[in-house]
Amino acid sequence: MTIPIVPKLLRAHLSELSGKNARIDGRTQWEGRKLEVEHSVLPRAEGSARVRMGDTIVLAGVKFQLMQPYPDRPNQGGLMCSADVRPIAGRHWEAGPPSPEAIELGRVVDRGIRESGCIDVDSLCLIPGEKAWQVILDLFAVSDDGNLFDAFALAGIVALRNATLPAERFEVGKDYPLPVSKTPIMCSYHKVGGRFVYDACAREELGGDERIHITLGDDDNVHSLQKGLKGIFSTEEFTEIMTNAQGRTKELRKIVDSL
Amino acid sequence: MNSGPVARLDNMTKKNGAAGPRENNRGQTLVVPGEDLGDSEGFEAGHGVMAISGRLKAVKQGRLREKGRSISVEPTHTRYIPRPGDLVIGYIEGCTNNIWFIELGAPFNAILPMSLGPGKIDFGGTRSVMDIGEAVLCRIQEVEETHSSVVTMKGMGLRKIRSGVIEEIDPHLLGRLIGKGGETLRRLKAETDCRIVVADNGRMWVDGELDGILDVRNRLSAISGDSNGGAN
Amino acid sequence: MGGYGDMQMIDENGLRVDGRSPGDIREITIETGVIPVADGSCRMTWGTNEAIVAVYGPMEAHPRKIQRQDRAVLDVAYNMAPFSTTDRIRPGFNRRSREISKVTKDALESVVLLELYPRSKIRVTIEIVSAEAGTRCVGLTAASVALADAGIPMTDLVVSVASGKINDVVVCDLNKEEDNYGEADLPMGILPNSGELVFLQMDGNLSQEEFKEAWQYNMDAAQVVHEMMVEALKRGDSQ
Repeated sequence: MTIPIVPKLLRAHLSELSGKNARIDGRTQWEGRKLEVEHSVLPRAEGSARVRMGDTIVLAGVKFQLMQPYPDRPNQGGLMCSADVRPIAGRHWEAGPPSPEAIELGRVVDRGIRESGCIDVDSLCLIPGEKAWQVILDLFAVSDDGNLFDAFALAGIVALRNATLPAERFEVGKDYPLPVSKTPIMCSYHKVGGRFVYDACAREELGGDERIHITLGDDDNVHSLQKGLKGIFSTEEFTEIMTNAQGRTKELRKIVDSL
Repeated sequence: MNSGPVARLDNMTKKNGAAGPRENNRGQTLVVPGEDLGDSEGFEAGHGVMAISGRLKAVKQGRLREKGRSISVEPTHTRYIPRPGDLVIGYIEGCTNNIWFIELGAPFNAILPMSLGPGKIDFGGTRSVMDIGEAVLCRIQEVEETHSSVVTMKGMGLRKIRSGVIEEIDPHLLGRLIGKGGETLRRLKAETDCRIVVADNGRMWVDGELDGILDVRNRLSAISGDSNGGAN
Repeated sequence: MGGYGDMQMIDENGLRVDGRSPGDIREITIETGVIPVADGSCRMTWGTNEAIVAVYGPMEAHPRKIQRQDRAVLDVAYNMAPFSTTDRIRPGFNRRSREISKVTKDALESVVLLELYPRSKIRVTIEIVSAEAGTRCVGLTAASVALADAGIPMTDLVVSVASGKINDVVVCDLNKEEDNYGEADLPMGILPNSGELVFLQMDGNLSQEEFKEAWQYNMDAAQVVHEMMVEALKRGDSQ
């Protein structure tokens, strides 16, 4: 990824906006962009989703493979999350091996899903020590207008919750839905013009400072946290965004569970 | 998701007007690259049109324009192409000891040599005068095929932009923004109480109270036919 | 190519496994302007294929060494997403994708008026998110629509389609089984207004007569698909 130039006037403008409790695209501090979520959009994937947040568009695909369980965990299958942001998604994304930004994206989303325990890896075992399912979640950016983190996390959980194990193709029984017991949801906050806002668009990311990602489970339990980029924040600021995350994750969870 | 309705060669004959010029909802004719525009005899190939073997052909996607004997295509999205004399707003992308590299939203960047920069600067002092990320109002001095195009800040009103915001609009909408004799732009400035300088590369400098700036931004969106940010 | 001529893919009524007649094309949809942050874009479905293409530029050509003084350079990349095929594709360097990127670039460079933008670069990224035989064809076709959507000047659009042979019958627009088990595959890239070609590959076994038949199928199909491309571009523009 090439780091784009930050126009100096943009930072000054974002400061002025936040001082007046305004944002560059007219939203309020905790307001998210227009959201569209669809599942089962990729015919070759065993589970899939397309998420659109404003002008950010991503795809998530679930594929299954058979694996041999690891020697120290003979009764478990596997879950792997991989994020790819390719040049299609924006001018500043370059071809080549995954950039640190893309790697961070994949790993943060992976932790949120994995640590919630929503996928029971014990249930993926077919023959202990010999055969187990490996669940592979591939996250794919189509258009990057900011906050790929939340878009990926949302698309990921929707794809998993609508996935079917292709037992027939692998000749191990009949197809059945992947058991996903919970709905972990990520909310990302970006410090823009001196205060945290929810669901930053690309210009806010460009002129902003640090970001914080929070993944909460069905019971408001905290499953993963990440602070990225340069910047300092206080306990009060964090408490404020954690409170907002509790409300917002519930709203998004309702949408996901109703699909 | 396999067999569904398929296109059959026998009943997919040329539909009425589908392959020929078609009108949009403002009564303008739309054309696509490769489309035949008639005999070239007596006509001139304008922007987005080529004359080949006695016929005129569209090479760009957009609206057909006939002005006198010139047939041209006005594309939906235009890229700014620098011309000498143009007023432009650029961002400083980098610098050496005596040159700034200016990003203009064009197919290639321009250079601003120290000799054409603001005031008097010592060799090596470029960054302290104008740093990466700053915006400048300047003019295209020359465009040469063999080297990068050159901009200058020597001239009336040319300067480093220190306040306000830079808005972007597709260059082909500049006419609509400025209006006949500058009327639309004059009205915009008065109604929003903002200083506005419109550059030829589809960028404009807007300065004033925050409310005025937001008002200008909204009106620009309306001109572009966009729908703004939005809520959930 | 499989060359397994004994797999029955045409029934006694002359219909193919998906119910098509030898001359029929699969179902196609085309949309433009689907990637808001790109300068031009196109999403095309063709049977179970789905390609999404973004065009950025013309822009400053980085790194300096790829810059050409006399014209723009086209940076074309074709890639298949991991979830685009029944067996997952591991992300990373792929020789097939490199070859397809190159021949697609060769095709597009033949129609784009590169001399109008010296020293610049035009980036074309083709992503296949769902695959079913003929991905290089849908990629090239969608790329030409995306370039038009981006306002890049071209002498014509490019339509690419592949015909071939199954059970000794020449057929138009091979599907997955036909591509895997058929006897020949002939993809072409055609300029619909002149009938000239910018892309040509072939593998398999065709007699001279069969070859001419497959060639003509592609030419006819190109006219049909061209109609849809023009329709999609004008539909996108009239909003």
